Amino acid sequence: MVQTEYYVALSAVLFALGGIGVLTRRSAIMLFLSIELMLNAANLAIVAYARQWSAAGAQHALDGQAAVFIVLAIAAAEVAVGLGILVAIFRNRVSTDVDELSEVRA
Amino acid sequence: MVAFIILAVLLVTAGVGVVTLRQPVHAALSLVGAILALAAIYVTLEAHFLAAIQVIVYAGAVMVLFLFVIMLLNVGRTRTASLTWLKPAAWITGVLSLAAVVAVVFAVQRPLPEFEVINAALRGGNADAVGESLFTDHLLSFHLVGVLLLVGIVGAVALVQQVAPETRAKRAVAVAEPEDAPELVASAGEAS
Amino acid sequence: MNDLVQLASLAPLLALAGAVINGLFGRNLKGNAPGIIASLAVAAGFVLSLIAFFGVRAGGAVRVNFGDFLVAGDFKIGLGFHFDQLSVLMMLIITGVGLLIHIYSIGYMHGDDGISRYFAQLNLFVAAMLVLVMADSFPLMFVGWEGVGVCSFLLIGFWYRDLANASAGRKAFIVNRVGDFGFLLAMFLTYKAFGTLDIQAVNAAAPSLAYGAAILTGIGLLYLLAAAGKSAQLPLHTWLPDAMAGPTPVSALIHAATMVTAGVYLIARTGGIFANAPGAAATVVWVAVLTALMAAIVAIGQTDIKKILAWSTISQVGFMVAAVGAGAYWAGIFHVLTHAFFKALLFLGAGSVIHALGGEQDVRKMGGLGRKMRVTGTTSLIATLAIAGVPFLSGYFSKDAILGALLTSMPLGNYGGQILFVLLMLTAGITAFYMFRWYYLVFAGEPRSKAEFERAHESPAVMTVPLSILAVGSVVIGYVGLPAFLAPNAIQEWLAPVMAHVDFEHLSTSAEWLLLIGSVVVAAAGLGLGYWVYALGSGALAKRLGNTPLASASRGAFGFDRLYRSLFTEPGEGLAEGVASLDRDVVDRGMTGLTGVVPLLGRLIVLLQSGYVRAYAFAMVLGVLALAVAAALIGVFA
Repeated sequence: MVQTEYYVALSAVLFALGGIGVLTRRSAIMLFLSIELMLNAANLAIVAYARQWSAAGAQHALDGQAAVFIVLAIAAAEVAVGLGILVAIFRNRVSTDVDELSEVRA
Repeated sequence: MVAFIILAVLLVTAGVGVVTLRQPVHAALSLVGAILALAAIYVTLEAHFLAAIQVIVYAGAVMVLFLFVIMLLNVGRTRTASLTWLKPAAWITGVLSLAAVVAVVFAVQRPLPEFEVINAALRGGNADAVGESLFTDHLLSFHLVGVLLLVGIVGAVALVQQVAPETRAKRAVAVAEPEDAPELVASAGEAS
Repeated sequence: MNDLVQLASLAPLLALAGAVINGLFGRNLKGNAPGIIASLAVAAGFVLSLIAFFGVRAGGAVRVNFGDFLVAGDFKIGLGFHFDQLSVLMMLIITGVGLLIHIYSIGYMHGDDGISRYFAQLNLFVAAMLVLVMADSFPLMFVGWEGVGVCSFLLIGFWYRDLANASAGRKAFIVNRVGDFGFLLAMFLTYKAFGTLDIQAVNAAAPSLAYGAAILTGIGLLYLLAAAGKSAQLPLHTWLPDAMAGPTPVSALIHAATMVTAGVYLIARTGGIFANAPGAAATVVWVAVLTALMAAIVAIGQTDIKKILAWSTISQVGFMVAAVGAGAYWAGIFHVLTHAFFKALLFLGAGSVIHALGGEQDVRKMGGLGRKMRVTGTTSLIATLAIAGVPFLSGYFSKDAILGALLTSMPLGNYGGQILFVLLMLTAGITAFYMFRWYYLVFAGEPRSKAEFERAHESPAVMTVPLSILAVGSVVIGYVGLPAFLAPNAIQEWLAPVMAHVDFEHLSTSAEWLLLIGSVVVAAAGLGLGYWVYALGSGALAKRLGNTPLASASRGAFGFDRLYRSLFTEPGEGLAEGVASLDRDVVDRGMTGLTGVVPLLGRLIVLLQSGYVRAYAFAMVLGVLALAVAAALIGVFA
């Protein structure tokens, strides 16, 4: 079996990719995609640690997977609301470029 | 190990695709690939139920929603260059952070529990096992997430909903009532 | 009789009550009411002083204790008054001369806006001065001491709208502070030496210490510093001429008759210390004689009618201090008494002239006023002759007593008593000279200013009556102190019980006569010289003498003011300016500079607030990087 550390390292790679995506892409939709990538990276780490955690006994071994389930649900809700906001913004500005949404500055 | 390496390569390739592909549709499809690879990885981690959910909810529902929005908005190329310095900076800091985190992760290595122990504790991570955990220990979280989803749905509808034509006309009249503010009438007419 | 003497403790309270009434309700008092109230308070004080006088004469010293004044652990000072021959005499001078000056002030200050303030301060002064002389302990005496200082300050700057007056008051106060500092130090040292601050106890204990002990000399020198401050002796005399900025009755009461004699009183009161510290006593005499000589020379060169008298006061107080320093306490107090009369009279006469001329004080514009102001002129002449030392007038006897004391004082003999005698004799001659000049320029000769002469008129009775009373006093008061070989010396015998014992050589009767005649000759020489210089040839000689270096030194008061200015005032101003510029150029500029930095910083931070959400996210990632690197370093090297 593959050790937990490799899974976590993979998760870190995925998370870093997502972060880079958030920083480099200007389209709000691409930002959302990158954020999904980061969420999944976190999920991967949780699942990997859940397996490591199974030594703690049956009582709590599945806590990690349950948490991932809840994260999935939250991600779904986030996407729904986020995309709703995106559509609303697009209606007003005909653009999803986040750099054009920079009025809130000093 | 071989399976892990293959899946990891697939996952990272898809991830890079998400971040780098120019067309949003391509990027979204790349994300679908990443999610599917992740689902397979979940299987290797004894999380069968999550793997299934991953495919159904993410690759199915969420990504479809993404594709809908992408097509609905028909996003074009961005016009002006801004924050051009951010791209290399992001890559550098991202890679550096990654290196640091990986160093931390491998600084202390712990042995995996015995296969039997894992199997007995996780029970393959099937629906039975996860469901039992969700409906006992995490019942409150489960319910709250349900409420959250409901709120999310209502919010999304409220955000996206178009104002009905009669209502819009009524509002315009209401704004036009004060005679001394004609410019408000004009702007109200053009708005939305 | 004892109880009646104790009644005199009310005298300062009555004066204080007058001050409070005038000070708090003076605005509601019309016309002469403030003056009458104040005069009544002082008159009551005079009556009480008389009672005390006769009480003490009948039954000896009386001590009244009202309880504790200061208590701190073992340190304890009683609040009490001591009525003995010395203090009741001072009380009589203070209230008697004070009463006349209060009455005179009713006329002099008539119509002044601040009349109730004036009388409140004058009464307060009388109260403080009474406390000073009645106190039975040094701290209580110090209360009076400071009180008269404050009143002096207030009254010099009475017409405070004129900046010169206000700064003259300030100068008096500050110079006096130097003396007060000496008083405080002297008290500390006294307590260290004797373990008590009770005046009688200290005087009684002083002989028990070694004769001429260093600590006694130290205490004596510090009390001398205190006395020099109040009594305007070298080197702290500079405030008194400036103090003439105050109303003339104030000059008469405070700066001639009473307050400036506080130093004399202090030395007489602490006679036990000085009698056992010959070094300190000799220093006192030297300071006093030099002061007297210097001030007399300066008085010749002055042109302000009051300044001449002010310098004369310094000189005459020098006589008194010299006497008490030589150990002839009775002679010093005798001169205080006679001087109170004739100097108050001179000042009031000068005030009458100033009043008549509508504020003119320059003697060069006067002359011949005696013809228009008969009472003022005559009384001033009596005072002039008295201070000049003309026989059978009061000043003659007291001055003679002082000169004799200098010559015969045994402790002083080792410290140049003969030289001091000669110097003081010379001063007496100069006194006659400058006083002749004063009288001649003001009252005799031809009027030099027609306009001023036309304006002159005799003052009202409320002013001339006190003048007359004081003139009578100036003539007769000397007879309380006739030379002992001729007649019983009343004042010497009166004061004998309270005075520390100092040995004097006994002069033969012929030597006594020689001394008396010598005084007459010196006075006559001074007056005659004055007549020769100022009266003959309408002052041509005076003009010629006016160009000599001594004359210009006299006009410039030997440059003490200039010296102090460059020695203390200017460095002080420089320091203040330095501190101010430190505040202005370093602190303020620094602060202003800092406030300039803040917007700059703000503008820098504004750059961060770009509005680009991705830039904010990048900042977060940087934070992540920092955390991750830190964690990696800890993890790798742990």
